[in-house]
Amino acid sequence: MTGNAPGGNGPAGAGSIEELYPFLYSGQTDLSSVLEQVRESTVAKTTEILQLRQAVLDADGARLADCGRAMADRFTAGGRLLAFGNGGSATDAQQLVTLFMHPSQRAAGGPARPLPALGLASDPSILTALCNDIGVDVVYARQLAAFGGKADIAVGLSTSGNSDNMLRGFDEASRRGMLTVGLAGYSGGRMAELDSIDYLFVAPSSSVHRIQEAQTTIYHALWELCQSALAQAAS
Amino acid sequence: MTSPAAAPPGGTPPLTPPTPPAGTTPPAPPAAVRAAPAEVGAFFGLREQPVRELAAQASAIASACHDMAVRFHRGGKLVVFGTGGSSTDAQHVAVEFVHPVIVGKRALPAISLTSDVATVTGIAASEGMAAIFSHQLRQLAGPADIALGLSADGNCASVLSGLLTARELGLLTIALVGGGGGAVAASPAIDHVLVTQSADPQVVKEMHVTSYHVLWELVHVFFEQPGVLGPGVIS
Repeated sequence: MTGNAPGGNGPAGAGSIEELYPFLYSGQTDLSSVLEQVRESTVAKTTEILQLRQAVLDADGARLADCGRAMADRFTAGGRLLAFGNGGSATDAQQLVTLFMHPSQRAAGGPARPLPALGLASDPSILTALCNDIGVDVVYARQLAAFGGKADIAVGLSTSGNSDNMLRGFDEASRRGMLTVGLAGYSGGRMAELDSIDYLFVAPSSSVHRIQEAQTTIYHALWELCQSALAQAAS
Repeated sequence: MTSPAAAPPGGTPPLTPPTPPAGTTPPAPPAAVRAAPAEVGAFFGLREQPVRELAAQASAIASACHDMAVRFHRGGKLVVFGTGGSSTDAQHVAVEFVHPVIVGKRALPAISLTSDVATVTGIAASEGMAAIFSHQLRQLAGPADIALGLSADGNCASVLSGLLTARELGLLTIALVGGGGGAVAASPAIDHVLVTQSADPQVVKEMHVTSYHVLWELVHVFFEQPGVLGPGVIS
């Protein structure tokens, strides 16, 4: 699984559809051969995600451990985690929050501590009020200004790395002294140009789906490594 | 800023750098990357075998997607549900189908049963947690629809109850489960079951994300080829 840059050959990328599903272009309607072709495309996708996770581990394994320790330091200082993202990434923010708030077992087998966390995409009243009164660009920055303090952690998830409301959220969180953690795809987008992100983790793919799958592993790893650091500090 | 992606040299960052087009090879990581600690390597390693097992279920996935496409073709909608972390997956699946990330793909009707907090908590308080999905299905679902239940351990009582009710109502029933499959996988009321053989709920979730991304993509492959959706070609 080395030497093959993930994302450069993603089947979800435009231009590869005909190659993957030639029957769409041939008028062919034989069900068994269609089933066989989609079976093969599924196998190809699993190969892609294996390679992408390996690329993330190779590039960022050490920084993930660093970030987990930095998050543990904030929780020890009384901080909370605030998570935000748009669309599918909003559901990832909620998953990260519930993992901290109501943890399941750890991969390492030890007990996990419940820790305070808030999802900034979970309250439709706040989101629609901000969208209606000001605009979608401020929906996270405004909440980070209201909730965030210098002991806190801001985790923002994006696939493109380009959303204005994400960029403004990181800037606001950084201004308040929060630890800022960003997850992005492609080559990081505009998030890679910010000075306001302390730890940026990029899933280097051009497939939104594979990016989200790798990001799920990345934030699960951050939770595991944060719990591990807290357990080590306590022993 | 600890991103591996290089910041632009000096000056103000450009406001709108383009998103890399599909197929673009992302920049290689810096040459001197610190090796991942063993703990992080082991964490990523836990994902490899489950991905291969997902690939081995590719034929079952293709068959499920074909059945889903037939339902959508007849005017059915997708109804998705899960508790805890799986509730975020239910919402992710809903947004995936209603507002696809890939430009040009049509919106297909999908709803999650985890988003109406008033109804969910109301049912839980008066009838019990096990009824939160089955009650909603009786009000919102019809015989042309598709039920998709997610359970990380395969034993979630409300998910199983929802799938059983869906079956009674005539829906196509699909389950994504983990653990050993649990009571959900053992139920004869489920038409298609995909099992992740892992007791780690985070690993299970990551396999589920890949699974429903593939479900979405393959449904569109079939849906765009209506010749394979008519009764005459269904084997």
